[in-house]
Amino acid sequence: MATPPNSNMSPAEKAKAFDMAQLEMEYRVDLYNAMTASCFAKCMDTRYKEGDLNVGENSCVDRCAAKYWQVTGIVGQMLGGMQQQQQQPR
Amino acid sequence: MNPADLEGLPEEDKQKMVSMIDNMQMKDSLRMYNRLVEKCFKDCVDSFRRKNLDSNEERCVTKCCEKFLKHSARVSVRFAELNAGAEAMMQQQVLQQQQKGG
Repeated sequence: MATPPNSNMSPAEKAKAFDMAQLEMEYRVDLYNAMTASCFAKCMDTRYKEGDLNVGENSCVDRCAAKYWQVTGIVGQMLGGMQQQQQQPR
Repeated sequence: MNPADLEGLPEEDKQKMVSMIDNMQMKDSLRMYNRLVEKCFKDCVDSFRRKNLDSNEERCVTKCCEKFLKHSARVSVRFAELNAGAEAMMQQQVLQQQQKGG
């Protein structure tokens, strides 16, 4: 997403790029963890009869991940739109 | 961000990025450990008449861990696919915009 630090940047720009890269990585890690937790809660049988995922659970996880991603996209768009509205002069 | 982004960097910057990534992975592993313990405890342990886990609870916790780890692995595969798909789409959009402007 953001421009990674590169050798053409001034030290100040590079420092900022590092910070952005770190922020972005943390965001992705959080996103992955939230997706994992949500889809586990939605798809897994908590009786834990088996250590393996059955076919139903596998499909559920795949679809859950896809839907979660779509929700992330929609929320991103809505937040972006709202921010634009707030920044426009009244 | 993928490993290829780090290629063009001077050594010192690359080291900085690598150590940042290592640090985050460490932190994330520790967090996952705690989360997994909490989850399996919540789902598997209900009675407190005895001090030790009985064999059912032990089996439940073991299966809970196995299941979660397998689930995590599957989600990470899908996550990588979705990520790659989104990046490809973005690159396509950038290309289209360039073609329009050019």
